[in-house]
Amino acid sequence: MDQEGCELSRLMRRITETPPEFLDEPRLGQHGTVAVSAVVGDLCHWHGIVPGSAALDAFAVGTPKSDRNRLRVSLLLSWVLAEDWFRSLDLRAAPLIPLLLQGASELSEHVAVEKLVSDPERREELARFCLARLGFRPLGETRAQAEDRLTSLSAAERARVLRASREAEARARAVREALARKAAEESADKYTRE
Amino acid sequence: MTDPSDAERYPTLTEEGKRMLQRLREHRHAPIFRNESGNRLTREDVETVRAFEREVVEAVVADQREESAPWLAEYLARVYREVPFYRAMGGAPRRLTDVPPVGRAELGQDVARFVPDSAPVERLINFRTSGTTGHPLLIASHPVVAASYLAFHRRALRRFGVTLRAANGDVGVVLLGYQRKCFTYVSVTPTMDEAGLVKLNLYPDDWRDPEDRRKYLENLSPEVLAGDPISFVELLKLGAALRPRAVLSTSMTLLPALRQELETTFECPVVDLYSLNEAGPIAAFDANCGGHVLLQHRMLVEILDASGKSVPRGQRGEVTLTGGFNFCLPLVRYRTGDFASLELRGAEPVLVGLEGRAPVRFRTHAGEWLNNIEVTHVLQPLGLRQFHLQQRADGALLLRVAGLARHEAGLRATLLGLFGVEQALVVEELDGAEGKLLQYSSELVP
Repeated sequence: MDQEGCELSRLMRRITETPPEFLDEPRLGQHGTVAVSAVVGDLCHWHGIVPGSAALDAFAVGTPKSDRNRLRVSLLLSWVLAEDWFRSLDLRAAPLIPLLLQGASELSEHVAVEKLVSDPERREELARFCLARLGFRPLGETRAQAEDRLTSLSAAERARVLRASREAEARARAVREALARKAAEESADKYTRE
Repeated sequence: MTDPSDAERYPTLTEEGKRMLQRLREHRHAPIFRNESGNRLTREDVETVRAFEREVVEAVVADQREESAPWLAEYLARVYREVPFYRAMGGAPRRLTDVPPVGRAELGQDVARFVPDSAPVERLINFRTSGTTGHPLLIASHPVVAASYLAFHRRALRRFGVTLRAANGDVGVVLLGYQRKCFTYVSVTPTMDEAGLVKLNLYPDDWRDPEDRRKYLENLSPEVLAGDPISFVELLKLGAALRPRAVLSTSMTLLPALRQELETTFECPVVDLYSLNEAGPIAAFDANCGGHVLLQHRMLVEILDASGKSVPRGQRGEVTLTGGFNFCLPLVRYRTGDFASLELRGAEPVLVGLEGRAPVRFRTHAGEWLNNIEVTHVLQPLGLRQFHLQQRADGALLLRVAGLARHEAGLRATLLGLFGVEQALVVEELDGAEGKLLQYSSELVP
């Protein structure tokens, strides 16, 4: 975060204005419509970066069950990184592909893409995340301020996700136990049985 | 954990209801009831189920296009919000076709992941599927869901001019089984003024005297007989003088000859229901429509190819379900393992050529591969009531038939005509007590 970047509000507005096409389903095998690798390829081209085919392949492989959210975050990041301020920069040496690949993967583990757009704190986190991974901090903030705020936003969300995950596991256990009870085994009346 | 009490099994039971239970249990010809169950419906539940019945009878079942399902977007949003399996994939897609289909394997791994957060854990019940495809399933359900089956039965029966009338003092339904081991019990149906409900096993071991089967059934004189083709074959052997107002058949293919025999014997409509533990009654066969007419208005049926893509209307593929009334197990693109084409007959969506489980291919003696539908066609004129054809790894065929004596010579000639005169073929009597079975199976891989 050594360099000062643009106003945070500018990127957050960009996120709010994400077109539906950038929230559409990534193409994975027979599923989905958007070829994320092509979108990433175009973005790299604008920034003067020539990604290898192996790097782009990573945006086209996987299954809807395990990779859908990751690729949708990559797509959303592509929209943010096409903002005029980013396009005015020379990002040829910047870690653009790692941001779109590993960065998307990290974010997708604890937040659904819709929430990155609809929730103000997640929008802020996403905007700060983009700037930070490319070595920038929001305009008007010190490095310490920017680091603190991003850490606090991410930590709060990760703690919430961890809590939700524990609750979900407890609930799944309760469901399994309820289904295994003798009372559940006795079931209830149906006029026909399959 | 203590056993549930009658108060839990029948929360709204009246004195008349108690008398009905006593009659069903203690009749001098009654079978040995091996289990306990009940309707488990509270007063509030009864009202919910009645309201649902009114909704279902009046509802229009749309043409099964995504655009004709106004409930779908909200449904998908709720499923992706409340169901752990889907929540882990992120937000709800805008189009149903963007949801990856699931099947029995996914449900079988851990059904808890498919139960929404809003499902009341303390009232969950389960139903087990038979696992004829290698994936036995435990299905999460709820007493209101189980009681709601009747709404679709009423809708199906209305097509055939039957309105159920059983009430207090009558026996509404006898559910028949014919298995060595069978879940049996008595109950009453609160939405039908506590009409009696009996689930019994026609297998002789469950009776003090085999002749009691006929006597008990005649005494009950149920309004509806429900069962599978195997139990109906056994029922016909009893020669019971019964006058049900309808016969409901589920679980296995009901062959035309058996349907005809049941209709002639009982002089009432025989309705073949396509019904799954996962989704309840989905469709009812109506010969005038040439197939199984869809029954559920908040369910979308797609026909998918092997890769998961929707096939054009009229083309055969796997029946795949979204929606339904089991709020403890909301389905999204659930591949049933059953095959049919979807067509419109007038305004009604109909599953045509419905066959349980994936098509099976058989190898003739000359090495040619035949689809099981060709076997169905050649056997149809023989009027079989129940059969199972298996091809073993060495190519030999084993045909098991209920009531073999009547058909043996004709069967051999017919099958050898199709497979070649040198085809190895064993024909034997089918013992229906083995439980649910598939019509066709093969150990050969095409």
